[in-house]
Amino acid sequence: MTPLKNRAIGFTCSYTPISLIEAAGFSPYRILPVGDSEDQAGQWMHDNVCPHVKRVLDRTLGGDLPENLAGVVIINSCDAMRRLADAWRRADPSSRVICIDLPIRSDERSVDFYAGQLRELTDWLGAISGNTPGESDVSSAMARFQVLAEHFGRLRGYLAAGILTGGAARLQDLYNRCATRPVEASIDELEKIVADESSRAKGVPVYLFGNVMPDAQAMSLFESCGARVVVEDLCTGSRLFKPLMENDDDSDVFKVLAESLLTGVGCARTIDAAPGATAGNVLARAKAAGAKGVIGHTVKFCDPYIARMPGIREFMREAEMPFLMLEGDCTLRSIGQHRTRIEAFLEMIG
Amino acid sequence: MMKEYFDGIVGGIEERIKNDPENASPRMKYALEVSRLGARLYGGSDRVAWCGVLAPFDVLSAFGVASCYVEFVGASLAASGMAGPMLEASEHEGHSPDTCAYHRAVVGAAGKGLMPTPDFLIATSCPCTAGVTTMENLARHFKKELFVLHIPQENTDSNVRYLTGQLEDMVEFVAKQTGQSVDWGAIGKAVTLSNQTSEFLTEIYDLAASVPSPVRSRDLRDFGVVMPLISGTQAALDTAKVFRDELRARVESGEGGIEDERLRLLWIQNRIQFKNPLEKILEQEHKAVVVVDELNSVTWDPVDPDDPLPGVAKRMLSSPFAGRIDARCDHLKKLVRKYKVDGVVNPCHWGCRQGTGARGLFADTLRNMDIPVLNLEVDCVDARSFAEGQLKTRIGAFCEMLAERARPA
Repeated sequence: MTPLKNRAIGFTCSYTPISLIEAAGFSPYRILPVGDSEDQAGQWMHDNVCPHVKRVLDRTLGGDLPENLAGVVIINSCDAMRRLADAWRRADPSSRVICIDLPIRSDERSVDFYAGQLRELTDWLGAISGNTPGESDVSSAMARFQVLAEHFGRLRGYLAAGILTGGAARLQDLYNRCATRPVEASIDELEKIVADESSRAKGVPVYLFGNVMPDAQAMSLFESCGARVVVEDLCTGSRLFKPLMENDDDSDVFKVLAESLLTGVGCARTIDAAPGATAGNVLARAKAAGAKGVIGHTVKFCDPYIARMPGIREFMREAEMPFLMLEGDCTLRSIGQHRTRIEAFLEMIG
Repeated sequence: MMKEYFDGIVGGIEERIKNDPENASPRMKYALEVSRLGARLYGGSDRVAWCGVLAPFDVLSAFGVASCYVEFVGASLAASGMAGPMLEASEHEGHSPDTCAYHRAVVGAAGKGLMPTPDFLIATSCPCTAGVTTMENLARHFKKELFVLHIPQENTDSNVRYLTGQLEDMVEFVAKQTGQSVDWGAIGKAVTLSNQTSEFLTEIYDLAASVPSPVRSRDLRDFGVVMPLISGTQAALDTAKVFRDELRARVESGEGGIEDERLRLLWIQNRIQFKNPLEKILEQEHKAVVVVDELNSVTWDPVDPDDPLPGVAKRMLSSPFAGRIDARCDHLKKLVRKYKVDGVVNPCHWGCRQGTGARGLFADTLRNMDIPVLNLEVDCVDARSFAEGQLKTRIGAFCEMLAERARPA
């Protein structure tokens, strides 16, 4: 295909099939809830909607998006995202916005359905680019993201071992940059870093999970409190660059991509086969990483996470795994307000 | 506690009807049937399924399962004045007051052992994410099987097939959970009763649109969202017929729901569930009637009793709560025109992302129709934050403004 990398497609959720965007010749650009855009989302959305989508909408209304954005892919992963798509279309009728459905579970019927959604998305992208990507284009893009995912996997290993220079803050910064530029540039940079790990970090090992925390300085804040984030599971972190499933010649590439996105570590909006399994998964991953404690972070008004946190807290208590829950609004300030609680938590478990 | 509540209502209404059958109002008959469902849910002798709002209750009734969306329980707790301690209990467990109080009240009740243990649970992805997570929490609490119906956004042929497939799985799931074989004849009979009920509902809603409207604000409150709970039964059909007959008689005699109707209102989503004076204030002080609730509408076609699941899938996909907000706004526009409303009330239920989250989009749509909207900042279940005086003032100002607009030049 003719490269169109001077054009980008925006996205907002870690369930987005960024390989398809890449295959269609665009650069995937994650619209992170960052920046200083004026608060304008309130005219479309109530105060009780999650600050993630409101800040994304603020960026849109404030013109704080790349000029080369050719369209936006929104995943119908939760009510807030659905309303973001609705509000975006209404606030900027000339924009190209597609909202694709995301199944609740990952059984075969759900995978088939999501594969169908991905085919529709491919057609939509093709209509914008003028050239619909074929299965070989998609396979090739998936292979590139698989390389990126493997590099990130190694960096996460370094982080867990305490030998990643810059620690979790640096990794978060890399996630942010790799989510907002062409994949080739990301692969180049990560290859160099993978070959150049260094210092041993100090601090109390903790497992961090939750939803939206894109600011790398938030990770620095944890570290300045005495924590060493050994593993994170955030939608603005590792979840976007998770490994894809193997794609052989006979496979339906869309089904492989759909299954890759629907399985493995997911957002709290996806229901586990066994109700309540999320808590067990958090504990297992924390223990496997050698964490002494678990920090759960959620943005305000995020129903899937705030509804699950009491159950996770109870499970951690029964398992005698120290647990700290933080609530924020996507800003560093909101995390900073918890500094004393974080320090006290680390003193207790350190 | 809830068993006594529902048994008390059932007993009280039955007594009143027995003593004075001539004055048994349709609303009384409706309350009786809905309370009978509540009594079954809490009675301990029926199989029980806790469900999401758009679950196919007629199909479940064919299995003899007493099924109900959990938000109904939240509403009943609020109506009975018992929601407060349940909300406090859930908050004590760590549930945020920023979440939907319909769900929080139920979670609190479950924690206090006041929710019957269901035989199984069926969640629906529509209308809201919070509903699904609540169902998962309840499934974990009760250690029971959870089935999830994913309802896509668009009412397309491929989505109908997808949802039909899930419904086939659900029917097998229910059969397994109940230990019964699937009786397609019983399901066909249930959807036939639903179809007949829907015909009456269509007539009821058409009659309510008359000028003056034959309804009072309370007559059809939350009617369209509660009636599906008893759909697929003779009781639902009888209830709908009684309503139709009563409203038809009022329209034929030119009798309005209230005397001297001046303002006609549309109410978005659900009413405030705990006792409050707002409807009374609207009617007595402003001669304003809520003539239609957003979900008082038949948006689906009859379901084929010989092949029911595709029709049930289409019915679910036709909900104004599914799909893009533009579809829901188009639905509101149709209601505004059909019912000739002067204004719209949107109770912005705190904690509701799908409904209240669209407040600005509703307002924009209605502004373009030159229809004023009153956005109330309320929690429809949690009475602890109810600011009666403030709301009364806002309603007064809104109605005065509407009256000024309605006055001939």
